[in-house]
Amino acid sequence: MRRLLFKVVSSVVVVVAAASITFFAQLAVPGDRATALMNLQTGQEKLWTEQELAPLNQKYGFDDPLVVQYLDYVTGLFRGDLGTSYTQKRPVTEVIGGQLLPSLTLTVAALAVAWLLAVGMTLLTVKRGRILSSLGSAWEALTASLPHYWVGVVLLVVFAVQLRIFPIIGGTGALGTVLPVLTLAIPLAGFLGQVTRDEFTHVLEQPFVTTARTRGMSDLGVRLRHVLRHAVLPAVTLSGWALGALVSGAVIAENIFGRPGIGQVLVTAVNTRDLPTVCGIVLVVAVIYVVANLLVDLVYALIDPRLAAR
Amino acid sequence: MRRTIAGLALLALAGCGANGGAGASGGGTPTTGGTIIYGHVQEPPCIFGGWIQQAYISRQVLDGLVTMDEDGSVKPWLATEWTLSPDDTKYTFTLKEGVKFTDGTPVDAEAIAWNFDYWENHGGNGTAKVSIDPYFKGAKAIDATHVEISLHRPYPPFLPLITQGYFGIQSPTAFKSRGEKENCEKPIGSGGFVVKEWKHGEEVVLAKNPDYNSWPATAKHEGPAIVDEVRWKFVADGVARYASLSTGESHVVYEVPTVNWKDAQSRYQTIRYITPGKPVSFFINTQVGPFSDKLVRQAFAYGADRKAAVEAGFHGVIPYEGNPSVSQATPGYDAEVAKAYAYDAAKANQLLDQAGWTARGANGTRTKNGQPLAVKLVYGAGFIFTHEGATVLQVLQEQWKQIGFAVELVPATQAELWGGKYSDPSTFDATPSYWTSPSSAILWIVWRPSTKDNPNFNNRSFFNNDTLAKAIDQANGEADPAKANALYGEAQKIIQDEAAGIGLYTQNSTYAVAPNLKDVWLEKSQGEPVFTDAYFVK
Repeated sequence: MRRLLFKVVSSVVVVVAAASITFFAQLAVPGDRATALMNLQTGQEKLWTEQELAPLNQKYGFDDPLVVQYLDYVTGLFRGDLGTSYTQKRPVTEVIGGQLLPSLTLTVAALAVAWLLAVGMTLLTVKRGRILSSLGSAWEALTASLPHYWVGVVLLVVFAVQLRIFPIIGGTGALGTVLPVLTLAIPLAGFLGQVTRDEFTHVLEQPFVTTARTRGMSDLGVRLRHVLRHAVLPAVTLSGWALGALVSGAVIAENIFGRPGIGQVLVTAVNTRDLPTVCGIVLVVAVIYVVANLLVDLVYALIDPRLAAR
Repeated sequence: MRRTIAGLALLALAGCGANGGAGASGGGTPTTGGTIIYGHVQEPPCIFGGWIQQAYISRQVLDGLVTMDEDGSVKPWLATEWTLSPDDTKYTFTLKEGVKFTDGTPVDAEAIAWNFDYWENHGGNGTAKVSIDPYFKGAKAIDATHVEISLHRPYPPFLPLITQGYFGIQSPTAFKSRGEKENCEKPIGSGGFVVKEWKHGEEVVLAKNPDYNSWPATAKHEGPAIVDEVRWKFVADGVARYASLSTGESHVVYEVPTVNWKDAQSRYQTIRYITPGKPVSFFINTQVGPFSDKLVRQAFAYGADRKAAVEAGFHGVIPYEGNPSVSQATPGYDAEVAKAYAYDAAKANQLLDQAGWTARGANGTRTKNGQPLAVKLVYGAGFIFTHEGATVLQVLQEQWKQIGFAVELVPATQAELWGGKYSDPSTFDATPSYWTSPSSAILWIVWRPSTKDNPNFNNRSFFNNDTLAKAIDQANGEADPAKANALYGEAQKIIQDEAAGIGLYTQNSTYAVAPNLKDVWLEKSQGEPVFTDAYFVK
């Protein structure tokens, strides 16, 4: 119980710290927020006079001391108020809210598919003779190093333009989600596969594997019930990180397939110096990281009972 | 990497061309109804504003007072006719009768006057304001259908300038009674479409205004929109956007990748619009650094084959523009001025020798008094310059190196550039940008001298020249177009002779339209697509 409480408190601290660091990092970016807003509204890149900037400074409190701006922001956080987007004139919760579900669908699905691909490849190719094994590890090395943009465009040309199986601008529909998911899942699968493969190879050489085999267990049984359980631990650890990274890294897949999501919103918000929106998204991503890592801890305990007992 | 991919996609797309177009100009039976899916690039923060990205979409929802015809003449829209007072300072517009905003309130003289006041005095639209400053005096309703707009001084470009999308008329009632969010997302006008829904990050759904009765004189048919809806989708990626036409997922796309342009011409209806106003040209910092010497600026202009670099970089689709101050599509453009500074490395070397940059450092960079001839070229990466534009800059950089310039290319993000990081004369030596405008009056906006009391931050060459200012000022007030153009030409010549700017290429808008969709056209002042006349054929 105390351990759980500690986890929760430290999670809140992490999240608030993330929001605070983003807040100040954004302020440290060269350039004035009111100027950026005026230029965004007019498509220009010039300076403006004090009189021209005054209404904006007044409206958003850009002239207030930093401490005041920061305290306003943090107290707002605890009231669930993330502020109002400078550019879209909507509450940040609404800006993010509308984009969160498509992003989560995309990233969770990508992680799941990546796992399926990685585990499948591992079971089928590790120590299956030199040719299969090297094919497997070559495939993983190749896919792990593929840039998302390249994967996305190749998938688009092959499956959307040539074969016409999936739409290009699929929105958030199930069919339209397939290619964006694969765009993110394929490189990640390679990455997870590489980690799992090393561990899998190592575990296959352990004495308890030999013991299991002497009990007459089938090869597939040994691999599934004994070896895999050990071998997935490093990949599980990485999954917590991967989920967070996918949320913010999804922007490329979103761009190619015209899909909504917070990745897009984040890039635009950073470009337009829309501070409340940037902070809000970082906050959400931080929460996802924290939750993902809590989940990883739980999954660890499931896989390795020794951890749960401690 | 992106170029290779685009090439790959081109091959793949060409492979399935058989079921694509061919009959792009063929007839077919016109139908009513249907939904046009339009693939645009950037999503604006609001549907109305002073950025061209907003004008594209606000044009669908808001009507203007007047519009521009193909030949550049100004034609009726919400105003059926107008008169000009004998002293050329008062325009009296007669409004079309019976026109209503989509909230049911009338488009009357009061509403027009309120809009002008909003743009000019209440921060409604910075670009509208700067277009008519400092000439605009006030707007007032004479009666329900007559509105008078008075100027401080005669300003013939006033009419062409107010044809731009920035001057879309909104319902004052709706604007005042609703919150900022509603006004941002769903401005109320009297246009052919209304904003039905904005799915952020995905699309804006525009629904036909069934009571539309205020189409412009340039419309291709009379009556409300023929189609039921336009789904204005945001597809940032060029490969995906262009490919969506071939799979039938879109009917119109904006910004066809130049590598796909030839393919598009053979399969679809294509529209290329050369934007009037300031082309994509370099501002040259005439105040600080090596370019404060005119000879060095001229050497820089002579020193690289800009024309060849542009033609190669954009696959021959985007025209080179040698005139730094106005583009070839602008009324009053001086074609002679554009011919100056054809590539001449020998001349460039001679000018640099003359300017005293005679010694050469270890890497071939010229030096003077021990200082290297280093130039910082800041460009907006990814929003003003695509990767193709950046390639052009790299080619030029290599040529400038040959004559002894060490050019540092500095890609600037939107946040840096718009946030003002590169506004001060000490922060850059050259920076390219453009400004669309249907009139040579853009010269005043950009090149007006900057004074303490009345700074002009648009003048990014920091070039204050009284002869130039006088010529533009006279031209702006000149009623005779021939005389005005001669004066504008004089201004362009001064800027070119002084090498206060260096030309590069025209800002273009390209569109590809599916063969079964007819009568999509671009309005003349800024190249915004018009969908109210479009119809599908079977």
